[in-house]
Amino acid sequence: MFKWFGKVNYTPYTKVTDFAQYLKDGRLMGTRCKKCQATSFPPRADCEACMSDEFEFIEMSGKAQLHTFTKIVAAPTGFEDVAPYIVGVVDLNEGGRALAWFGETIDEDEIEIGMDLQIVPQIFEDLEDIKVYYSLEKPGTTWAKTDSS
Amino acid sequence: MTRVGIIGIGHGVFGRRSDATVQELAFEAFRQAIEDAGIEPKEIDASVIGSVPEYHKQRSLAGVIQEYLGLFPKPTWLTEVACASGSAALRTAWMAVKAGVHDIVLVMGCQKMTELSTPEILALMGRVGEVQWESGFGTTFPAYYAMFAKRHMHEFGTTREHLLDVAVKNHYYGARNPNALFRKEITIEKAKASEDVATPFQVYDCCANADGAACVIVANEEKAKALSEQPVWLDGMACATASMSVLRRPHLVGLPSAEEAGKAAYKMAGIRPGDVKVADVHDCFTIAEIMAYEDLGFCEKGEGGPFVADRQTYVGGEVAVNVDGGLKAKGHPIGATGLSMTYEIAKQLRGEAGERQVPDADVGLTHNVGGIGQYCFVQVMKRD
Amino acid sequence: MDLGLEGKNVIVTGGSLGIGSAIAVEFAREGCNVAINYRRHDTEAKKVVEEIEKLGRKGLAVKADVASHDDAENMVQTVVREFGRLDIMVCNAGINWDGVIWKMTEEQWDTVINVNLKGYFNYNKAAALVFKDQKGGKIVNISSINGMRGKFAQTNYAASKGGEIALSKSLAKELGKFNVNVNVVAPGMVMTEMANAIPPEFLTKAMDETAVGRFATPEECADVVVFLCSDRARHITGEVIKVDGGQYM
Repeated sequence: MFKWFGKVNYTPYTKVTDFAQYLKDGRLMGTRCKKCQATSFPPRADCEACMSDEFEFIEMSGKAQLHTFTKIVAAPTGFEDVAPYIVGVVDLNEGGRALAWFGETIDEDEIEIGMDLQIVPQIFEDLEDIKVYYSLEKPGTTWAKTDSS
Repeated sequence: MTRVGIIGIGHGVFGRRSDATVQELAFEAFRQAIEDAGIEPKEIDASVIGSVPEYHKQRSLAGVIQEYLGLFPKPTWLTEVACASGSAALRTAWMAVKAGVHDIVLVMGCQKMTELSTPEILALMGRVGEVQWESGFGTTFPAYYAMFAKRHMHEFGTTREHLLDVAVKNHYYGARNPNALFRKEITIEKAKASEDVATPFQVYDCCANADGAACVIVANEEKAKALSEQPVWLDGMACATASMSVLRRPHLVGLPSAEEAGKAAYKMAGIRPGDVKVADVHDCFTIAEIMAYEDLGFCEKGEGGPFVADRQTYVGGEVAVNVDGGLKAKGHPIGATGLSMTYEIAKQLRGEAGERQVPDADVGLTHNVGGIGQYCFVQVMKRD
Repeated sequence: MDLGLEGKNVIVTGGSLGIGSAIAVEFAREGCNVAINYRRHDTEAKKVVEEIEKLGRKGLAVKADVASHDDAENMVQTVVREFGRLDIMVCNAGINWDGVIWKMTEEQWDTVINVNLKGYFNYNKAAALVFKDQKGGKIVNISSINGMRGKFAQTNYAASKGGEIALSKSLAKELGKFNVNVNVVAPGMVMTEMANAIPPEFLTKAMDETAVGRFATPEECADVVVFLCSDRARHITGEVIKVDGGQYM
């Protein structure tokens, strides 16, 4: 159920809907084209290289480097209660990029472009609805994985 | 194929225009453009409206504009590419004239942004980025450009002061533009004292939403020469795109769409970056203007900060940029902005810019960006 | 039926006697390591641990007052340390101290609520902290049909048992996204020492209420508990299952 992804979700329906289920289970998934093996993060259902619509999910390590970041003070609707928050764009070791919040393992004054980071699947624990996301944490941060489906 | 010339221009006052509807704003610019062109409204063959629909309560805006301007039964249509909608309107008008479909086309950029409540604005602000993978983390328009700024500072040593030099320059010129929203000079100290928006940006790094309209009338070469003493020619009209998502951009220290559109426009117009005397670029945030200098080849990549610090983009520098105040001081009614740029450069090329006039301005340029660089329109304009 | 519980680590509160000891032993039979807590019954607790060990599993008896918030957290930490992980929490420890409400003292009320309802809160919370982070776990809370239907002279006990059901359903909602099942087993009359203290005429009346004409054994309750903790019951959560031979319908 892709509507689980993000504090606010604008795209509940997508062909890569299982991404959110995997994320809830502690697994960060990218996609691989079954025909030409091109990989993608964020996931995409349709291959822009060979036009195939056959894809499979592959688990990513989540190891990454910080490309850039900002601390957002003026927040949009749905994020007022968590502002200010710091978002970063990271380059994944396995290719692709992700945009995510910095998590609790990193202090604001430690953040610098180029630093190694670990993308960690997260569940909003204090919300009744199922909501999942990922955060940027110190390398070596561990978390539980499961197979709920 | 025919050259396309601008024969009339009009520009309303930008600001919080609680005194007027969007079609009334459009009429202000329209009246000026018609008077400037010296033609009757019935001579206009078609109109193209540049505007972003989600800000207006009125759906399908082109029809109501056409009605209020009294242009029935001539054809009209709306173009939308976010903050570049005005330039997109001009580009389609230019295509129509080039193709010989229409001889004289009115191009209207108009936007009423302050009709929306603050919660509505904040909700729209949350959907400015790629909504599937990015907006769920609460990204905002300033946040994306702030991340470009952080990366630019990291790679090239651009400083906080370089960014604010842009704001100081644009407010300096905005103070001298009667159509501008902010008509006051500022200092770096004042800018640094303003509230944080998204680091490193503070309030003075960001342009403001506004209401307003700007309008140009274009004609084919034959009509332009017949109707206008000094037509301004649209000789390089380029548009390029880049990914919606910052996760799929080749780099985050410039806008690939602007690099591409710039090259294409120069080639079409047969000029080099150094030939441009005056430019209006899309300074929605301070870093955006610095990146524009570089993307358009006014200076080397990474040199944009020192370029503005050396006052090379003031009147009298290598290329005068945003000497109307830019989005920063004029305000940014998103559908109108592109045509506001075209208006300003036409004024400069016609030698009518008053105390802001760039000497010997014969080649000008506009650079109008949609979103966070998903679309970029670059226009090279010349006078005979 | 293999329930696939081999190697799981379990806590059963009140595991030294009655239904609790039967649950503890049943888990050991299914291949689990089991820790029980006890307050007064040292000898009985030792016997249960011996029985678990006889079945080739690790057994552990921890002296802990279920009404103590700190004891609960300490016990869970001890088990995680000793067994390496916690997979299943069964709350069973409970008391009754009956009386009609106009004769019920404040102490009578507080004591039953503290041991029964607060005791379940303490151990459910301590387990939830672990299960949430490991994205998995099972909780079974032993309530009573009297928590569903009410019972003469048991305002305190019935309130605590009803409260346990409400607690369990709420917790099932909180922990669902973390792959944790929370269920309730609600026995009717069970042949335990607690039941032996009941006057014969009440027992007869209870027997008459059942559809099958007999009371449950502790093992019959334990069977349902281990099932609910197995993968076979993976889609059951927030559920109350009566084990009462049809006593309350």
